[in-house]
Amino acid sequence: MVKIYNLYIFNNAGTLLHYAEWNRTKQSGITREHEAKLMYGMLFSIKSTNKYALHFYETPTGTKFVLNTDSTAGKMTEFLKNLNSQIFVEYAVKNPMVDLSQPIKNDLFSAKLDAFIKGSSLYVS
Amino acid sequence: MADPVFFELLHAQIVKYVEERQTKDTDLSSLDTIGFTCGYKIIERLTRDWPKFKDELEIVKFICTDFWMAVYGKQIDNLRTNNQGLYVLQDNMFRCLNKIAIGKEHLQVAPLYYTFTCGLVRGSLANLGVHCVVNAEVQNMPSVKFHIQVNRL
Repeated sequence: MVKIYNLYIFNNAGTLLHYAEWNRTKQSGITREHEAKLMYGMLFSIKSTNKYALHFYETPTGTKFVLNTDSTAGKMTEFLKNLNSQIFVEYAVKNPMVDLSQPIKNDLFSAKLDAFIKGSSLYVS
Repeated sequence: MADPVFFELLHAQIVKYVEERQTKDTDLSSLDTIGFTCGYKIIERLTRDWPKFKDELEIVKFICTDFWMAVYGKQIDNLRTNNQGLYVLQDNMFRCLNKIAIGKEHLQVAPLYYTFTCGLVRGSLANLGVHCVVNAEVQNMPSVKFHIQVNRL
């Protein structure tokens, strides 16, 4: 069973499209925006530590998913692939109200994402 | 049958296209006209193997079942009538709205996304000999009620 901390979704230009957290134990003390920029920069120089696992999945169109979990998680590629196809594509890409060059402000997307994470067999709160 | 995603994306773009070009805020008549022409033509294709309909109610029931299934992959959830030419068709998970929001969010854009379907229904009925006016209302996304008022002479 995996403990999921939080999730960042970036578009191909590095804009943070969506951020959601489920079990964040520490706040970073900087603004969300700043943190997202640092996270994106860090993506290219990640080091694995004992404390957490960072999972990265990039689609052919350059959309990047960054998921942080505890270190008991195995390979999460399948999970992130499903996240993309069942949630991101359905409720963000196919949503006429969503502009993919800007952060996603849509309750339905947030609700579906939350339900997906919590409903997955990997989630432990 | 083609993957429904093509219609979804194309319809969304048609709505955006019309939205950008309208001169008055609430002028959606071009969307309705596009829907009307599509409906008028597609009904020919959809009913080609069917026998003649007995009466107006049979036609409306056909719209609720086979027609809605062919276009939106599901049937109408609820049909009401006053038996005097007014029919209310309720779709609780309307395909053109179910990716946008749930509940009251984005309620103001709902007309943009159901107008094409109003035209579609009006055109289909017109070619079957039922002349009417079709409107719709949304109180909770993505549930839509289509009101068909038949012109009785």
